[in-house]
Amino acid sequence: MNTNKLVEKGKGETNVPFLPPGTDTLPKFLKWGYEQWGEKVFMRRKDRGVYQRWTWKEVHDEVKYFCLGLISLGLRRGETVALIGENEPQLFFGHWATHAALAKAVCLYPDVTPPEAHYVLDHCDAVFVVCEDQEQVDKVLEIKDQLPRLKKIIYWDPRGMWKYSHPMLMTFEEVQEEGHTHEKSHPGAFEESVAQGNGNDIAVISYTSGTTGQPKGVVITHSSLLDSAYRLMASLSLHPFTQYVSYLPPSWIAEQYYGLTMGLIVPFVINFPEEPETVLENIREVGAELLVFSPRQWESLASITQARMLDAGLLAKFAYKRAMNISKKVAASRLEGKTANPLWRLLYPLAYAVVLRPLLDKLGLLKVRVAICGGSAMAPDAFHFFHAMGLRLKSMFGLSEVGLLTTHVGDYFDVETVGKFMPVHPALGHQVEWRIDEDTGELLLRGGTGFQGYYKDSEASAKTQHEGWFHTGDVVTVREDGEIVYLERLSDMRSLSTGARFPPQFIETRLRFSPFVKDVICLGDETKPFVAALMNIDAETVGRWAEKRGIDYSTFPDLSQKAEVRELIRQEIDMVNRNLAADGVVKRFANLPKELDPDEAELTRSRKLRRSFLEERYGELVEAIYRGKAEHLTEVPVKYRDGRVGKVAVITKIMDLEAPVEVAR
Amino acid sequence: MVLNFAENAVILRVEDIYVAFGGVQAIEGVDFEVRQGELSAIIGPNGAGKTTLLNCINGFYKPQQGRIYFQGRDISNLSPDKRACLGIGRAFQGIQVYQNMTVLDTIMSGRHVLMKTNPVQAAIYWPWAHKEEVAHRKVAEDIIDFLEIEGIRKKIIGELSYGLRKRVDLARVLALEPKVLILDEPMAGMNLEEKEDIARFILDIQEFQGIPIVLVEHDMEVVMDIAQRVIVIDQGKVIAEGTPTEIRGNHAVIRAYLGEG
Repeated sequence: MNTNKLVEKGKGETNVPFLPPGTDTLPKFLKWGYEQWGEKVFMRRKDRGVYQRWTWKEVHDEVKYFCLGLISLGLRRGETVALIGENEPQLFFGHWATHAALAKAVCLYPDVTPPEAHYVLDHCDAVFVVCEDQEQVDKVLEIKDQLPRLKKIIYWDPRGMWKYSHPMLMTFEEVQEEGHTHEKSHPGAFEESVAQGNGNDIAVISYTSGTTGQPKGVVITHSSLLDSAYRLMASLSLHPFTQYVSYLPPSWIAEQYYGLTMGLIVPFVINFPEEPETVLENIREVGAELLVFSPRQWESLASITQARMLDAGLLAKFAYKRAMNISKKVAASRLEGKTANPLWRLLYPLAYAVVLRPLLDKLGLLKVRVAICGGSAMAPDAFHFFHAMGLRLKSMFGLSEVGLLTTHVGDYFDVETVGKFMPVHPALGHQVEWRIDEDTGELLLRGGTGFQGYYKDSEASAKTQHEGWFHTGDVVTVREDGEIVYLERLSDMRSLSTGARFPPQFIETRLRFSPFVKDVICLGDETKPFVAALMNIDAETVGRWAEKRGIDYSTFPDLSQKAEVRELIRQEIDMVNRNLAADGVVKRFANLPKELDPDEAELTRSRKLRRSFLEERYGELVEAIYRGKAEHLTEVPVKYRDGRVGKVAVITKIMDLEAPVEVAR
Repeated sequence: MVLNFAENAVILRVEDIYVAFGGVQAIEGVDFEVRQGELSAIIGPNGAGKTTLLNCINGFYKPQQGRIYFQGRDISNLSPDKRACLGIGRAFQGIQVYQNMTVLDTIMSGRHVLMKTNPVQAAIYWPWAHKEEVAHRKVAEDIIDFLEIEGIRKKIIGELSYGLRKRVDLARVLALEPKVLILDEPMAGMNLEEKEDIARFILDIQEFQGIPIVLVEHDMEVVMDIAQRVIVIDQGKVIAEGTPTEIRGNHAVIRAYLGEG
């Protein structure tokens, strides 16, 4: 058995990644890896400016004693442990320890508010909460009285906790010490517990971000984690000890597949950023080889680069423009499967050596072999940007309910699609079958490990299943070459009173790619005759843009309503309108006088828009837009962190796309 | 008994000081004490003499009359740098950090008074100088971690926002390993969130490192929230001293500062 070799050759044409017999849960993979690679480095995290390392043996022991500690404190099979914190080794230890104790793990976003945390902790019946630091502990202490099942609150960062002395509080180390004591009286308890695990045990409950109503808990078993991980491994060629940067929040299902599952199997060297703010620097320092970002993160990386180029010197700007031009032409031809004009092919190595390579290096992307974007739709422009730089960014499409489904395979792929369906490992289920509902265009699926239901919500679970097919709620089309094109959520496709249909998300994604636009709410439905948009400008880039032009402004509301800024945004929308059907273009818009904020429930924690809430909050402004008014006095309630509620009242100008603003010079 | 004594030990005593600028009597017979591990706040209306008082403590002004004792030693005649070496650390009201240095270098500059090797030894990479540098760097990294400024470690200070610069200034003072920390309006010009952050750090410094802090601050809400003892100054005189609750109910204070009645 050559365990270092991930791929077993010779089974037909596809590569089937190696699955060690009998390993059907994550803790079993941890044990398996520990036996293979005991002294090899498994994790790294920068702390106090220096990278600290954990070998497989150290990780195994951390997990082991934390798990024994939890068992000793009364964690039983099937119970729930919740974890709140940034991606740090302890979060992963806590996760795997929970699995090893045959319990299920629930991760919460670090910026969760106490009421949101209460809903999830109560719904999932959490008995332990593992917190990062004082910030998270405070949230749990605030709601602990409403959580009768909660036994202990465990934290790993003691900073600021010196004066806390609540009987429910324990440090991570104290739990591990408890584990050491437990081992003395129960030798072999850990190994026994791991051996009792079963692929059908619930590993994780992943709460969907809940763009509509309260979040739903998707049940995810160990088998479904392995299924998605093996689908990916069959489609991407990853070598053992791939340098991976764990940056996606584990409360989002993608990190469960990547860091927490594939990290154990491939395996990865899992690198943790020092702080969320330093992630780009850290990616560069560790020479990341696999990067998985959400579309927003890729888009923001693209905007940062573009915005910095605005600040660059004349020579740098000139070189950047020329090089990107050459490279865009070459990349576009490559993506279409054609050969580029010989002149461009000749100039490309020069552009790469002089501009693109240093740029990639600066961004820390030089060593990236596999770059993935997953989550929701992303503007093709952003794809083109990275492909032009020479980074082969792939799209990925999946659902919390049924795992990862499609990706781009190999070198050739089309940025407009999300790729092809990935193969399922034979030991984990049948191949995925799919069809498209003829009436609605909805994608229906069966096969793989399949959907395991929503936690404590059989009604909602049943609604998604009809005659053995899982209804994804996503509208897709399939091209002749078998590539899937993602259009829109079924519930989000909208038509106007004129009968014209338009994809709001598509419009929003493309508008967001502008460095000056942070968020967009696209308006229009059966009662409205045209499409309109509420724009949330990007304070930083627009601010810098204004500074360069000597436009002075005081606050965000002021900046957003400046004539020059409105004209700037109008031009951005105009560019996007050119790609839309004539009856579905954006006709009017207004710049919001306040930034959208997840703390005010305007966005979800993963920064998706809460559409119906926003349309209600800005209802009067929307009405003014459709009545053809030129301005509207917008009053928006603002909630401060200390609970006070204030109001922002600003005259919001409404713009017509056809009428450029007269800017006084 | 001994322990009790240490906890309540007076670390800094200002005894009956008088400062006049020409005909203006800025400080008129101020007396107060700073005790070990305590967070005391000095408040008062504009021009009451708060900053003048701080300037006397760290040696920028020399009072015409009165003495200042630090750890039992009379420091009234010491120069500001000597006082810094003794462990009186001060962060300023305006930003007084080096505009063109990186954050890390600025913090390391705070360690300067504690460095024993000379520039020549450092230049030739003397093993001992190297070892010392590493030790100081470790302290600097601890402070960076403490104040959560990892993300700007290598940034030039001139590029940073006002709130962050104030935080770097605080880091620089902490690098001195002060025995008493004097903060002159650390939250001036900050938004609510930045204020909350700084308040958290001040409390952490006081609770975890046990450094006594003298805080001058305009934001009454913050002062009443975090200080254990409040000293109110008006027109160069101490008009009240006590816990925040006592001060809230003190009529003289309400008249002088809060502007009621």
